[in-house]
Amino acid sequence: MAVLDADLQPLRKEENRQARTAWGLAAPALALMILILLVPVCVAIVLSFSNYALGNPGFDWVGVQNYERLFTRSTYEKMFIATFTYVVTVVPISVGLGLGAAMLVHSLGRIGDIYKTIYFLPVMATLLAMAIAWEFMLHPTIGMVNRTLAMACGTWMEAIAFFGNGCADGFPLWLRDRDYAIWVVCFIGIWQGFGFNMVLYLAGLTSVHRELYHAAEMDGARSAWERFRLVTWPALGPTTVFVVTISCIRAFQVFDTIEAFWPQGGGPNKSAYVMMFAIFEKGVQQNLIGIGSAITVLFLVFVMFLTLIQRWLVERKVHYG
Amino acid sequence: MADLSITSITKRFGETPVLKGVSLDVVNGEFVSLVGPSGCGKSTLLRIIAGLEAPTTGNIALGGVDVTGTRAADRNLSMVFQSYALYPHLSVGENIAVPLRMRELNGLQRLPVVGSVMPGARAHNARIASQVSRAADMLEIAALLDRKPGQLSGGQRQRVALGRALVRNPAAFLLDEPLSNLDAKLRVQTRAEIAELHRNLAATFIYVTHDQVEAMTMSDRIAVMMDGEILQCAAPDIIYEDPDDIRVAEFIGSPKINILPLERSGTDLHLFGRSLDWHVTSATPEIMQLGLRPEALHLTQHTPRLTGRVVHFENLGSEVFAQIALDDDAMRVTLRATPAQRQMLGLGAEVGLGFDTRVGLVFDARGKRLRSVEAMVDLTSEVA
Repeated sequence: MAVLDADLQPLRKEENRQARTAWGLAAPALALMILILLVPVCVAIVLSFSNYALGNPGFDWVGVQNYERLFTRSTYEKMFIATFTYVVTVVPISVGLGLGAAMLVHSLGRIGDIYKTIYFLPVMATLLAMAIAWEFMLHPTIGMVNRTLAMACGTWMEAIAFFGNGCADGFPLWLRDRDYAIWVVCFIGIWQGFGFNMVLYLAGLTSVHRELYHAAEMDGARSAWERFRLVTWPALGPTTVFVVTISCIRAFQVFDTIEAFWPQGGGPNKSAYVMMFAIFEKGVQQNLIGIGSAITVLFLVFVMFLTLIQRWLVERKVHYG
Repeated sequence: MADLSITSITKRFGETPVLKGVSLDVVNGEFVSLVGPSGCGKSTLLRIIAGLEAPTTGNIALGGVDVTGTRAADRNLSMVFQSYALYPHLSVGENIAVPLRMRELNGLQRLPVVGSVMPGARAHNARIASQVSRAADMLEIAALLDRKPGQLSGGQRQRVALGRALVRNPAAFLLDEPLSNLDAKLRVQTRAEIAELHRNLAATFIYVTHDQVEAMTMSDRIAVMMDGEILQCAAPDIIYEDPDDIRVAEFIGSPKINILPLERSGTDLHLFGRSLDWHVTSATPEIMQLGLRPEALHLTQHTPRLTGRVVHFENLGSEVFAQIALDDDAMRVTLRATPAQRQMLGLGAEVGLGFDTRVGLVFDARGKRLRSVEAMVDLTSEVA
């Protein structure tokens, strides 16, 4: 027994030494993560229970008052409606369009590269500049959109209710109309974002084994839909989880379009008052750090929730092969 | 089950001809191997038979019906792929069931979750389940039915791929190098099992391989392909003993056949300037090639026809192969000897080799077999 212990002693020492080295090597990354991620998050959580404002010598604890406001005031109700409308519209459509474009581009030969570039252009462009271009196009009287629509007046297309009303009472004001504003923002979000999803899906498609399509054909999968269901879609599972998560987080983060269109207040009648813009308005413009922090914490909870769903899907359902 | 007939198939990829007029008839229940070096077009031919590739010209008929324009899904053929091509997200049982589900269930019945409550789905599903378990029992993979392909070894995946092919009753089985991803031991075992499967099912098998041993051991007939043509299609023993072409003789048989230059002067045949007592007519070409299998050579001290030095030696236990550098030429020949002769074959040993001229295979300078010349050796020895 004594002999055994004597043998084990140096072994334990060696293990300890290795553990110390490991911690030592991980320390810089750990310190950075705590300093620039965890500490600010904790500060935000603490501040969300206060009425702190930048420049004030002190502050009072207000308990859950900030959160209470978030769930009772109509401004914040509009904020939630705008944010979720945007997420629920933009995510499925931009993912679907990204997948469709990727499959079409993938089936082409060399011309595919041209389409790839075209679809990817909005992703690379500065959204602020794009927003100004869109603003011109959507101008109610001199904008290209309404002028194009007006060309349908006097033709058979007036039978369609939208054109009929438009020709009689004028076409929508788009950015100035509270019924249309959020949908315009959604459209631009989709237009700007689906190229990114397409590129991710294109990468996913290259990993689909070609022989699987031949096997599917031999097994009697006659239609393109059946081959998609049997081979392509399952193979794209990991890509889809990633694309959906990224798209959700990007959709929650939408800010610059709204800031460019309505710097003064999140759209007509706050119809496009999304969370990111609310954080900016309350926390930065109005210097209400407490309520700004509360929205930020809520935002973090949503994003965290999405990430957890992704982890769960990755571990449970999706096949990585 | 049906006869398969392939008529003058050609295939070009752009400007490159891959198949140059291939014809082959396979009768019902036959096991035919397509064998040849890589790039000879054997896999392309199989894919044309399957319908995954369209021929440039030519026809394919199954059971007397022309199927050249029929798509692969409607030809009722099963295929086993080299990479197995199992659906990675489906379990083994679901993989095997795919061909049945695709053919027997309609679109609504195949829907996830609600599909199983569609009218008629229950009876179909029960039948499919019983067919899957029958196939799994046949291949001894019943214990694996719930696993995913990613959790299986190469040999098990191979069985699942076979199971997916035989779960329904196809007109023919097409196998594209199914053993090439297995290790040597498993390959020998699976080889025997596929041959046995063929006997049990009595179905038509078309088997593509680059391994002549697989072709020799499993097939009823072997079609040796080279440069987009079938050089010879015959039973394994005929391919080995009576090849039509020097390329067939060289491809089939391990170690490779020995090829020696044969010359005619007058009516006498000479090997390295020495007469072979082999009288031929003056109509035979002057330059020919003599093919001798390693087992056709034997060690002799009494007036050897060839002499040389042992330069390499491989002992396989039951037999011994020695490479002998000939004195007359820089050439090497391979000799098969019995283990008892081992001590005569030390490295560097001078040996004399003899052979019976009647077992020699004679080819012309371009590699075509000259059976007429071989016939004359019998006459000569009978006269002697």
